[in-house]
Amino acid sequence: MENKKEYQVINIAGTLAKGFLKSPLTAVLGAFLLIMGYLALNTMPREEDPQIAISGGAVIVPLPGATPKEIENIIVKPLERKLREVRGIEHVYGMAMDNVGIVNVMYYIGEDREDSNLKLYDKVMQNMDSMPKGVMQPLIKPFDIDIDIPILTVAFYPKADKQVDDISLFEMVREVQQHINAVEYVAKTTLKGARKAQYNIEVDMGKLSAYHLSLGQIMQAVQSVAVDVPDVKGKTNSGKLVIFGVKNAIESVEDVGSVIVAQYMNSPIYLRDVASVTHGIDIQNFQTAKIMFKSDVNDTLSKEANQITMTVAKLAGTNAVFVAEDVVKVLESYQKDFDDLGIGYLITRNYGERANEAVNELMSHLLITIIIIALMLVFALGWRESLIVTFSVPAILAFTLFTAWMTGQTMNRITLFALLLSLGLLVDAAIIVIENIHRHLHAHGVEDKKMEDLLIEATDEIGAPTNIATLAIILTMVPMAFVGGMMGSFMKPIPYNVPVALVASLFVAYIFTPYLSLKLLKKPEHKPNNEEDENHKIENNEMKEGKK
Amino acid sequence: MKGFEKFIYNILDSKYKKKLIISLTAIAFFLSLMMFPTKMVLAKMLPGKSANTFSIYVDTPAGSSIEQTKQVSSCVLNYLKKENEVMNIELFLGQGIPLDYAGLVKGASMKRTENVSEISVNLTDKHHRTEASYLMVQRLRPLIQESCLPLVRGTNIKFIEQPSGPPTLASIVVEVHGENLSQIRSLAVDVANTLSNTEGLVDIDIMADENFEKYELIPDKEKVARSGLSVKQVNNILYLAFEGMVIAHKNSQNSPDQINMFLVLDNASKQLPESNIEALKSKLSSLNLMNMRGMMVPLSEVVDIREAKSNYMIMHKDLSRMTNVIAETDMVSQVYPLLEAREVLLEKFENDYIITKAGFSTYMFDFTLEDRKTHAKYLIRWDGEMKVTLDTFRDLGGAFISALILIFLLLVIYYKSFAISGIVLLGSFLSLIGVIVGHWVANWFTTETFFLTSTSLIGFIALIGISSRNSLLLIDFAKSLMECEGIQKRHSIAIAAATRAKPIMLTAVAIILGSALLAGDPVFGGLGVALISGTVAAVFVSLLFVPVLMDNSKAMDFDKKYCDNEALKNISITK
Repeated sequence: MENKKEYQVINIAGTLAKGFLKSPLTAVLGAFLLIMGYLALNTMPREEDPQIAISGGAVIVPLPGATPKEIENIIVKPLERKLREVRGIEHVYGMAMDNVGIVNVMYYIGEDREDSNLKLYDKVMQNMDSMPKGVMQPLIKPFDIDIDIPILTVAFYPKADKQVDDISLFEMVREVQQHINAVEYVAKTTLKGARKAQYNIEVDMGKLSAYHLSLGQIMQAVQSVAVDVPDVKGKTNSGKLVIFGVKNAIESVEDVGSVIVAQYMNSPIYLRDVASVTHGIDIQNFQTAKIMFKSDVNDTLSKEANQITMTVAKLAGTNAVFVAEDVVKVLESYQKDFDDLGIGYLITRNYGERANEAVNELMSHLLITIIIIALMLVFALGWRESLIVTFSVPAILAFTLFTAWMTGQTMNRITLFALLLSLGLLVDAAIIVIENIHRHLHAHGVEDKKMEDLLIEATDEIGAPTNIATLAIILTMVPMAFVGGMMGSFMKPIPYNVPVALVASLFVAYIFTPYLSLKLLKKPEHKPNNEEDENHKIENNEMKEGKK
Repeated sequence: MKGFEKFIYNILDSKYKKKLIISLTAIAFFLSLMMFPTKMVLAKMLPGKSANTFSIYVDTPAGSSIEQTKQVSSCVLNYLKKENEVMNIELFLGQGIPLDYAGLVKGASMKRTENVSEISVNLTDKHHRTEASYLMVQRLRPLIQESCLPLVRGTNIKFIEQPSGPPTLASIVVEVHGENLSQIRSLAVDVANTLSNTEGLVDIDIMADENFEKYELIPDKEKVARSGLSVKQVNNILYLAFEGMVIAHKNSQNSPDQINMFLVLDNASKQLPESNIEALKSKLSSLNLMNMRGMMVPLSEVVDIREAKSNYMIMHKDLSRMTNVIAETDMVSQVYPLLEAREVLLEKFENDYIITKAGFSTYMFDFTLEDRKTHAKYLIRWDGEMKVTLDTFRDLGGAFISALILIFLLLVIYYKSFAISGIVLLGSFLSLIGVIVGHWVANWFTTETFFLTSTSLIGFIALIGISSRNSLLLIDFAKSLMECEGIQKRHSIAIAAATRAKPIMLTAVAIILGSALLAGDPVFGGLGVALISGTVAAVFVSLLFVPVLMDNSKAMDFDKKYCDNEALKNISITK
């Protein structure tokens, strides 16, 4: 055996091990990785499911009085042909109904959303000149998943003991909505089941004919009174402005009732004579919402009550957990007002919480798995070695998470499954290195060598096959990134993150495993009568023979 | 380890035993593949997952009133109310529930008519609930449909569960394409009937509106003109009287929105005693219009009333007319009911149509019908989850083949031999045995069917990498034993297998433990099971089958040569 000779590094593994083994920066790098991982874990946007770029939209073209077949011929078919010209559209769906034609387009999954919306709008606008006569302005509505799918829905309902009417409920909810929209990263909020205040003029047809009136007269009478005009300006002799204006004559529901509809036999007919005029809710709106709920499993459900559901969506790429928490805080700040009015609220959907639960559950799975593998290694290799491998796992995961964060990915179920999947693979590199170090430390002639050289040599030796083997696994993952469709997009985090984790596992194994071994492991006392050692002697002899 | 080394050597030394190993492997591979046609292992894109919520869509036939829709919805609510695990129920009449992933593709955001309602049900937390949400839906569906569907004829009630993966319009979507509107409608009805007779399919719906009775008021142009009225006036007054209109508004300092003034006839005046021409005529006769001369003209004087049918909506997909028939699966994979229904349909249409089946593509189940008399052509297309599944499996299959080729190229570069690279690939491909058998075994332990899903395929793809590494290290080892130490081929292979057994086992155990928690997940269970069982198979393949192939291959004959490669030399003493 050549003694005290400087070991010649032949692989990148050895180069890395050599470079970092004595460097004081190695520990700093390790700490830096862990801190970055921790930061990523806490600030990365959390979602339950990964973002799938679904783009599409609807073009709605009303043509009053046309039958479906007419709509099909003059609106749907030409529009479909034009939209077919747009690149990236996968399917065009046309619907011809009475009075209206609708054409929906679905882009291929993964098409850029802003581009797609623009292309759709552009195509329709370019062809406005060829729209048939009598067609009303087409409506172009793009689908927008981030904005359209609410992460939080809250149902507001009147409490059973205090009777709050629909209008006050709506007015309160509207005020809350204003403040929730002010929360950072909240995108679109909508109200469902809201009943708005309205003056209802319900005309009795019998009285109408008795007074010899028509509906048109009533309409004109009301319209002639209820007008808003801007103020007008006059000037004084000295040139100062004098501002005056006509106020809307209708101040309250009584004013509506006192509108004079006609003169009959010299006495005025008021609107309230022929119609019931009430300050009520929008009776023409048939879209209502009801709720039944209970707070404990063993209770019975409450009685059906009217409710208003507020939906809250977030901006793309923001953390659902934080947005949901902030919105809930705003709701809680209104608790006193709600109590005074007798309004209760119930959060009926909270994707933020769901995402958090899903992520936390998987994080605990990750931890459990790491512990199980660490335990297994204690038995197979010894506790110091196990400790070294166990350190490498958080370092690799931290690096992977940090990379994912920097590349604009979110933390979701699939990202974490990718980490779980790679867990079984990424300890391998560290295991192989530590096993080789272990073997070298117990090999013949170890006392002649410096510990540092031993570690570098042990790492360097297994470099080539480990690199090839890891490369093989990475290669299997790469084609998965090109799988198209919904499922492809859904699974994207796997081909994105597993290769990163595997590359990181190589670097961590080559840099930190020798470094930690230097700190934790010691050359054992040499035992010449070890049976294993005898084997090595024989093999070494054979090797020497081979060289001759 | 000596014992194992002898065991391998004995196998390699006897031609009979080598043949036995090869034929056993071949039989195992063949048998595991046979588990697909014999339906011992069932395939599905993604399994269901238990959730804390589900929703119900109620669709009364087009032209139904909000009251009728409410009646059906209340019936549904009555059943839901009895469930102990239900924490809250929300009913949205005339509109969809707040949009979710399922609703996005099912068009929930477009709903704004009187004949629709949606119900959202929140359950207790799934961790504390014994009954999975999909089992609850399966139990409630027949009960609710049986008693609530007859309330309004033609009503459809659908149960919507949260998709565990990407959402689709429905599990099974059959598109009937053709030019003749009434014929595609009747074909769609045929398809719907067949689907509802197929076991495992529920919530069947033809995505077209029903036609309903309506009355057409035809303005008598001459009478209108001679009474000093206009047709526009007639239209406006009719709308104002029965639908109502916002005729003015008031800005308010205190109210968050403008206050509208809404004019309409009161309910008593609007109501008709019954739905027929006479009732409508007498109602219209009391509705007066004022003409230009200030005289009152009853509306019934200037219009003729005629009974009519409403117009059907015309649907297009990709520029051709079509009608959709959709169905959901009841806890089974959509593949098998689809094939069954397709057979029945083919038989049914055979008499009247000339059938041409589609070629091999992801639309492979499609067929075209040509009417024997009129020679009109129709296309029956299978879309929905089936199409997505086929597309996904095709893409994943492509990814798998690319992965194989990439690894093969990598190995050829490393070993400079096609035969050795072939052995490695064959070895890793055989982990498929483990994947399939693993799913069959997993099916025993779960109460519901354990499907082979697309995540299983991803697991399988990852496995090729893992098991090729086993073979790779084995070959590397044996090669250096022969080259550097001049040990005889058979001996080197046996020593290699015996010494590599420990690290192979160790990494295998790491993977199995790492995937154990995956196996419990509904979506990624397939991946977990594939990794666990595939790794077990890979261990056997790389320790028994690969050595036999190595021994048989001439490419593995390495001559003893001078070895100055430190790395190779040292691998040879790895124990």
